[in-house]
Amino acid sequence: MRWGRAPREESARRRRRAGWAIELGAVVRKEVRQTVRDRRIMFLLIAAPLLQTILLGYAVDFNFENIPTLVVDLDRSHDSRTHARRLLADRTMQRRPGATSVAEASADLAAGRAAAAIVLPPGLARDLLAQQPADVQILLDGTDPNRAMVVASAAARYFGEVASDLLRERMAARGLPPPAASRAVPRALYNPGLATAPFMIPGVMTMLLVITTTVITAMGLSREREMGTLEQVLVTPIRPLVLLVGKMAPFLVIGLFDVFMVLTAGVWLFGVPMNGPAAVLVTGTLLYLLSTLGIGLLISSISRTQQQSFLAGFLFIMPAILLSGVMTPVGAMPAWLRSVTYVNPVRYFVEILRANLLKGAGFSDLWWRLLALAGIGGLILLVATLRFRKRTA
Amino acid sequence: MTSRQVRFLRRVGAMAAKEVLHIRRDPRTLYMSLAMPVIMLLLLGFGLSFDIERIPLVIADGDRSAASRDLARAIQGSHDFAAVLGSDAAAAEQALRRGQALAALLVPAGFARDLLSGRDAPVQLLVDGSDGNLARQIMGKLDAIVRAHGQPSLGLAGTPPLQVQIYTLWNPAGRSALFMVPGVAAYLLAIAAVLLTALTVAGEWERGSMEQLFASPVGRLEIVLGKLLPYLALGMLQLLLVIALGTSVFDVPIRGSLPVILLAGLLFLTGMLGQGLLISVIARNQLVATQAGALSSLLPSLMLSGMLVPIENMPRILQALTVVVPARYLVHALRTLMLKGGGLAVVALDLVALGLFAVAILALATLRFRRRLA
Repeated sequence: MRWGRAPREESARRRRRAGWAIELGAVVRKEVRQTVRDRRIMFLLIAAPLLQTILLGYAVDFNFENIPTLVVDLDRSHDSRTHARRLLADRTMQRRPGATSVAEASADLAAGRAAAAIVLPPGLARDLLAQQPADVQILLDGTDPNRAMVVASAAARYFGEVASDLLRERMAARGLPPPAASRAVPRALYNPGLATAPFMIPGVMTMLLVITTTVITAMGLSREREMGTLEQVLVTPIRPLVLLVGKMAPFLVIGLFDVFMVLTAGVWLFGVPMNGPAAVLVTGTLLYLLSTLGIGLLISSISRTQQQSFLAGFLFIMPAILLSGVMTPVGAMPAWLRSVTYVNPVRYFVEILRANLLKGAGFSDLWWRLLALAGIGGLILLVATLRFRKRTA
Repeated sequence: MTSRQVRFLRRVGAMAAKEVLHIRRDPRTLYMSLAMPVIMLLLLGFGLSFDIERIPLVIADGDRSAASRDLARAIQGSHDFAAVLGSDAAAAEQALRRGQALAALLVPAGFARDLLSGRDAPVQLLVDGSDGNLARQIMGKLDAIVRAHGQPSLGLAGTPPLQVQIYTLWNPAGRSALFMVPGVAAYLLAIAAVLLTALTVAGEWERGSMEQLFASPVGRLEIVLGKLLPYLALGMLQLLLVIALGTSVFDVPIRGSLPVILLAGLLFLTGMLGQGLLISVIARNQLVATQAGALSSLLPSLMLSGMLVPIENMPRILQALTVVVPARYLVHALRTLMLKGGGLAVVALDLVALGLFAVAILALATLRFRRRLA
């Protein structure tokens, strides 16, 4: 332990600087050994993120397909059968057998056996032929509003096209010129297939990093405090700041490794593009980890037990994720909540990741977000370190 | 009641009282467990929606005619878009890349001419496709505006030949809160039950106080029950809080039977507590228990329960996996009972599944607990 005390010589300063490095090395060695010794933790730190990515990538798909749909064909004509078949042709909806009346269809919806019912009224073919207005009814299970909206817009689009085709036919039959028509020809940039995975995988990376690094840092420190080993380390000549940096180093490495792994899985399994410079990705990740580790530290300084650390961690993580745009767009939030998102590191990181990976954005597009991340991370770490020193002093 | 049973209950009561004492001595655990549902619900209810009201849009008008300006005005006048005029396609694309706009409408030169001569006059729409869900929304809304704008002459032809009437049952306004509240309830209960039990039991192993408990005349089963009871109560309190908040603040209806809702919650909680116990017996370490708990309960409750994405939309293999995810049955039961109505009959299958899971996992946990000691 002699190297900890600075000797009174002219090279004292240099020794002290070397002492820093030696102390840091010792703490990092201890932390790494402690983390690696528990194989289960290592497994969970590495396997969990991978498993979650794969699960999320496959499970979360907002491209609705095969929505169970009933067709109540009360017309039983050639026309009504054609419309039903063409409406269901793109596999957004999948026809479920049964239900020959509206009452039966309502009962099926109530029991959850189907999510939508298309009711083709009696006399549909006759009315269309006689140029009488006809009505098609759609019954939707509104308990899942997203799914309901998909069916509603698919049906409205299909029957809208049928209606405008009919109108053109009728006008042509009367010798009238066809009505002028405009339409928007859409082209999706960055993610032409509108797949969910390229959008979700960066979100998953963001969530995984904040969950693992924040909770593990907080609980790890609380555990040492619970067991009294923190006091033991603190009576050694190691400086508190060095201790902190050393404690965080392994998690910084694990965090970077997780990002690398999840990204690899995303690129291979889910076709996530990597359009932007990787330097932005690495810089963003490091700056983000400053915030998440700092918050872990802050939480450990306000909780007495691991249970509290865990709860407090989730109390931070949940709102941070919900208010980040990972799940729902920030633009859809009310203004007062949107202003909260400006101090949320999770928001900046997910925006950086998505813009970088999907849109190929570089430093010139993202500099202020990186700056914000650095500012927030630095501030949190500063406060956390001050609190930690006060508590240990 | 025989005196053996009385003694059994007394010892369970004593264990429960010990656990309550732990919680009471440091009430932060209690506060945080109750604050979590409140914060989550308020955020979900007020903050979260998939529908952007003012979608930032750039219009690059390459035609500069009365017709194109008319179209721009129609878009600006709609409540869905916050449109600004941009110079050209390149500038529009940069705005998209920087996230300043989500879509760009490019009106080609000759738009007015084509429209007047009755030709097809398409405009191009560039959409930021990164969020596919949002992109589809934008495409649908803008296409509707453009089509309506291009077809004033349709009015001459009288009423449209075919109309679609859409009746949305149980949630006609399409409010996300009605969808989310039952899902969030399942998620919160899973967090509280699995992780808090896993942590408290693993904590006893870690501190070595479990051996002391075994040395006392309290039996294994009594320890298990006593440890679980306070958390069962806490979980029920959370469920009540979620329901109360959901109904009072977000007008989530309770159309079905409240006792059946509580029964479903109780069965689910019992299963989750059993799972927490099993994890802690295997892990004996709080850090490992948290990670294992998060992996085995939080994630499936969020992703495989149908809370966010309907189960029929998942690949077959994941659909098969959801059969053993208890949250799936709770989410379905809560949604059915709260939004659609009904009683025992409509959710009988869910209740049976929840009950089976609870019995199986508790038996497994108690068995491991015993073997661990022998």
